[in-house]
Amino acid sequence: MAFEFPKDKYNGKIVEVTIGAGDKARTVGGETAMPLCNFEGEFPNRPLVAMEVYDKAEVCETWAPACKEPFADVMGDAVAWAKKCVEEFGAEAICLQLASTDPNGMNTPAEEAAELAKKVAEAIPVPLIVWGCENDEKDAETLAKVAEVCAGMNLVIGPAKEGNYKKIGGAAIGYDHVVVQQTPIDVNMAKQLNILLNNLGVPMTKILMDPQMGALGYGIEYCYTVMERDRLTGLKQGDEKMQSPLILDVGKYTWKTKEASVSVDEEPAWGEAKVRGVLWETVSAVDVLAAGADILILRHPDSVRILKKIIDELMA
Amino acid sequence: MPERRYTVRFEPDGVSIDVYREAENLLRVAMVAGVHINASCGGAGTCGKCKVRILEGEYRSQHSSKLTQDEWDKGYRLACQTEIVGDLVVEVPVESRYEKDVLGRRPDHVLRAARFQKEYEGIVPEPAVAKFYVELPEPTADNNMSDMGRLGQALKREHELDKVSTDYTVLRDLPAVLREGGWKATATVMRTHRSHRIVRVEPGDTRGRTFALAIDVGTTTIHGALLDVNTGAEVARAADYNAQVSMGEDVITRIIAALKPGGLEALQKRAVKTINGVLKELLAKAEAEAGDISHAVFAGNTTMTQLLLGVNPKYIREAPYVPAANFFPPFRLADLGIRVPPHVMGYVMPCVASYVGGDITAGVLATGMHTDPRLTLFMDVGTNGEIVIGNQDWMVSASASAGPAFEGGGVKFGMRATYGAIEQVRINPENLEPMILTIGQVPPKGICGSAMIDCLAEFVETGIITQNGKFNRELASRTDRIREGENGWEYVLCWKDQTQLDQDITIIEPDIDNLIRTKGSIYSACSVLLKSVGLHFSDIERIIIAGGFGQFIDVEKAMAIGLLPETDPERVAYGGNTSLAGCEMAALHRDRIDEAEQIATMITNIELSASNMYMEEYVAALFLPHTRMEEFPREAERIRLAQQIRAQ
Repeated sequence: MAFEFPKDKYNGKIVEVTIGAGDKARTVGGETAMPLCNFEGEFPNRPLVAMEVYDKAEVCETWAPACKEPFADVMGDAVAWAKKCVEEFGAEAICLQLASTDPNGMNTPAEEAAELAKKVAEAIPVPLIVWGCENDEKDAETLAKVAEVCAGMNLVIGPAKEGNYKKIGGAAIGYDHVVVQQTPIDVNMAKQLNILLNNLGVPMTKILMDPQMGALGYGIEYCYTVMERDRLTGLKQGDEKMQSPLILDVGKYTWKTKEASVSVDEEPAWGEAKVRGVLWETVSAVDVLAAGADILILRHPDSVRILKKIIDELMA
Repeated sequence: MPERRYTVRFEPDGVSIDVYREAENLLRVAMVAGVHINASCGGAGTCGKCKVRILEGEYRSQHSSKLTQDEWDKGYRLACQTEIVGDLVVEVPVESRYEKDVLGRRPDHVLRAARFQKEYEGIVPEPAVAKFYVELPEPTADNNMSDMGRLGQALKREHELDKVSTDYTVLRDLPAVLREGGWKATATVMRTHRSHRIVRVEPGDTRGRTFALAIDVGTTTIHGALLDVNTGAEVARAADYNAQVSMGEDVITRIIAALKPGGLEALQKRAVKTINGVLKELLAKAEAEAGDISHAVFAGNTTMTQLLLGVNPKYIREAPYVPAANFFPPFRLADLGIRVPPHVMGYVMPCVASYVGGDITAGVLATGMHTDPRLTLFMDVGTNGEIVIGNQDWMVSASASAGPAFEGGGVKFGMRATYGAIEQVRINPENLEPMILTIGQVPPKGICGSAMIDCLAEFVETGIITQNGKFNRELASRTDRIREGENGWEYVLCWKDQTQLDQDITIIEPDIDNLIRTKGSIYSACSVLLKSVGLHFSDIERIIIAGGFGQFIDVEKAMAIGLLPETDPERVAYGGNTSLAGCEMAALHRDRIDEAEQIATMITNIELSASNMYMEEYVAALFLPHTRMEEFPREAERIRLAQQIRAQ
C-alpha cells in the first residue's frame, strides 16, 4: 500500500474579508487549513504585505537611521510617502498611522487627520488601512471622522478596543468600512470583542482581528501560540466567532526594540545596523506569517521585498 | 409536592399559576409567574405602582392611599398588599404590560433553599453531648461509696455509660450539687468512641431546656442557629458580618493581617466578638440562657477555623499550602472568649485542605451527596468559592477566590439577605422599569445575592448592559434610571423616596464587574475541576448550589449569567447555607460527626493554581453568559431575540 501523507481535518473556514473598493479591492482570508498547510486545504488569498506611512514627520524623529533613509524625501508628506511605497517598494496596501493625533502629543484634530486619510486613499491604487494613535477616546473621535469623510471607500479602520468599539464599529457600519479589533494577546478576549461587535451589527465579513504581538526576542513564541490557538478555535472547533483574518503591525513592534534599532557604534558586536534591523523585522514577520497572519504591516522596504519573496515561495 | 390551593390567572396574557400557600402575596405570585407588574418599593405598599384590577375571586387587600375611591370601587388593588384566598382572575394594567411572548422569556425556576436528608427530621436527636438524668441512692453507713463513684454507677446502670471520666471542675462542685438536688441530678456527658466525659452536673432534672449551638464562621458572614436538643427543632437563627472584615476582605489578606504583631489575637477576638453578638441574638429570640447550651458545632474554611482557634494560619498561604490540622480536638468555648459557661464544649468540622475547609465538609454532609449514587456537583459560593464533584464512591474538590459580591461585599448597595434587602428583580424590556420585591416587603435598603443574579440576567436581556458588563449609555435617553453617577454609569433600582436610605439604590458598573468576576471564578473552577477528572457538565446528574444568596434563587437566571452551567433546571437544587445545615446535623446526631470525618478523609483536593487551564477558563468566563456562547444556547437565543426586537 502506498504511503499516504497524514492530513488533518478542519471544521471551519476563515471569513473572506474584502478591503478597499472598486479596482483597489483586495480580499484576504478564506483559508480552510492551518497556515502553510496548503496540502490540507484551500488558501484562496495570498497574505497581504502592507507598509506603514506616518501622518507627520515629527512622530518619526526617534526612528533608526535605517528606517528614515528610504523615506527621507517623502517624510512629512503622507500622500507622496504612500505613493512611493506602492510604486517603488511594492506595498500591497498602505497603513496610514495617525500617530500625531495623540492628545498627549501633537493632538492633530480629527478633521485634519480625516482629510489626510481621504487624500492618501484617493492617491493610491491599493487598499488603505487607517490606524489611530491608540488612545481610546481620541481614536473613537478620529476614526469616526475618517469613516464619515471616506464614506463608501471600504477602508480598514482601527484599532477598535473594548473601550471604544461601539463608536468605531458604529461608524464602520454607518459608512461601510472594515474594522480592526484589537485585544491583548488572548484568545477569549478576542472572541468576546467579536461577539460584542456582532451584537452591535458589524458582520464578520467586516472584521479583522489584531491579536497583538511582541517582536522576536520579546515573547514572540507566546504570541505565536495564541495566534495558533485563535486559528485552531476557528478551524478545528469551527467557532464562527473566531474566523476573522489576522492583521499584525510587525514594523511597529520590531523597530521599537533595541536589537533592531541601535547603531553599530553603540553595539559593535551586533553587526551592521540596517541588515540587523531588516532581518529582525523579516524574521518576526515570517514567524507571525507561519502563525496565520493575513495582513502584515512592515516598515522597511527591504523587509517588504524579502517577505514578499518568501510568500511567493511558500504559496507556490 | 404540596397541594395546590388556588389558581391565579393574569389577563390579558392568560398566564395561569398555581398557588400552594394560603394567603400568598399577589405580587410575589406574579413574579414567580413571570408576569411583569411595575413595583419599585419592594412590596412595602408605598409606591402605588403595582396597581392591578381584580376581575374575579376572593382576596384580602389593604386599602391604600395610593388608590382613589373610584379605583377601589372598580376593583383596583395594590398587588403587594393583596393576599390570595381563592381562585383569582387579575387584569394587569397597560402601564405594566409588554409583549412578553415575542421575547421568548422563560418560565421562572425560583428555588427556595432546600432541606436535604429529610429522613432525619422528626427523629429523636442523639447528640454527642447529652444530658442524663439520674436518681442516686442516698449514702448510708452500709453504702458509703464516694459521690463520684455513686454517680458513675448510676450512669452505667441507668444509661449504660461506662468508662466515665470527669472534669476537675465538675468534681469540685459535685458534693454540693448532689446534695442540693436531693440525690437527683442531671449529668452532661460528652460521648466519644473512646470515653465518656462528664462536663457538668446540675441538681435535679434539667433535661427540659437544652440547646445546641451551630455556628458557620464565614469569611464575610457568621451565621448561627440554636437547636432544641430534645426535639431537634431549630428555635432561632441569626447572622452578622464577621468583624474581621475590617482587617481584610478575603482569607489571604486576613492571613497577612494575622502575621503582624498582635494580628492573630485581634482577628481571633473579632471572630469571637461577632459570635458573641450572634449568640446574644439567638438567645434573645429563643428566650434561652447561655447556661441552657450543652454544646456547639462550628464550621469554617480552614483559615477561619485556625483564626477562631488562634492557630497561626501563616503556612496556609505559603507553598505547598499546609494547614495546621484537618481534624481538631474538642475545646471549651469559654477558653476562646465565647460568653457561655465553662462546661460548653465545641466541635469543629474537619477540613479537607488549606483552601477546602470544614464548611465544605459540613456542606457535603448536609446535602448527603456522600451517600448518593448520583454524580453531583456541589458549589458553595462564598467569599471563597469551593466545588466538590462526586458521589458515594469518590469526591474531588477545588477552591477559587470568588470574592464576597453575592454576600453583599464589594457591591455598593450590597447587603446580607435580611429585612429590607431587595431579593427579586424583573425589568420591563420596553420601558426598562423594574419590579422589585424585598425581604419582608418593607422599603428597600440594599440588594442581596439573589437580586444581583436577577439584575445581571435582566440587564443583559433588556440590553441595559452589554455582554461584557458595560452599560449601554445610549439608553440614557430612554430612561432616567440609566445615568452617569459619581461612580460612573449606573442603573437606579429604587428612587430615594421609596428606600430606607437617603439616597437612590443603584447598581454601578464596578458592581457588575465584581459580580462577573465572582461568577466567572466559580464557573471556571467547575470546568477545570471537571476536565481534570475527565468529565463534562453534561455528565453531572445533580447540581447543588449553596451560599448566602437569600431565601431563594432563580435557577434559570443563575444559568443566564453563567454562574451555573445551562442544564435542565430540574437537576438543580439550592441549598442555602449548607455549612450551617451540616453543623446543625452534627450538633444533633453524633453519628453525623463520624460521617463528617469520613467525608473529610474521602475528598481529594485538587489545587487549581497548579493548573495551566485555570487562567484561560477564567478569562473565558468573564463574559455574560460565557465566551463559549455555544454552551449556553438558551441564553444565546434569548439575547439574539431581544436584540432583534430592539432593532425593530
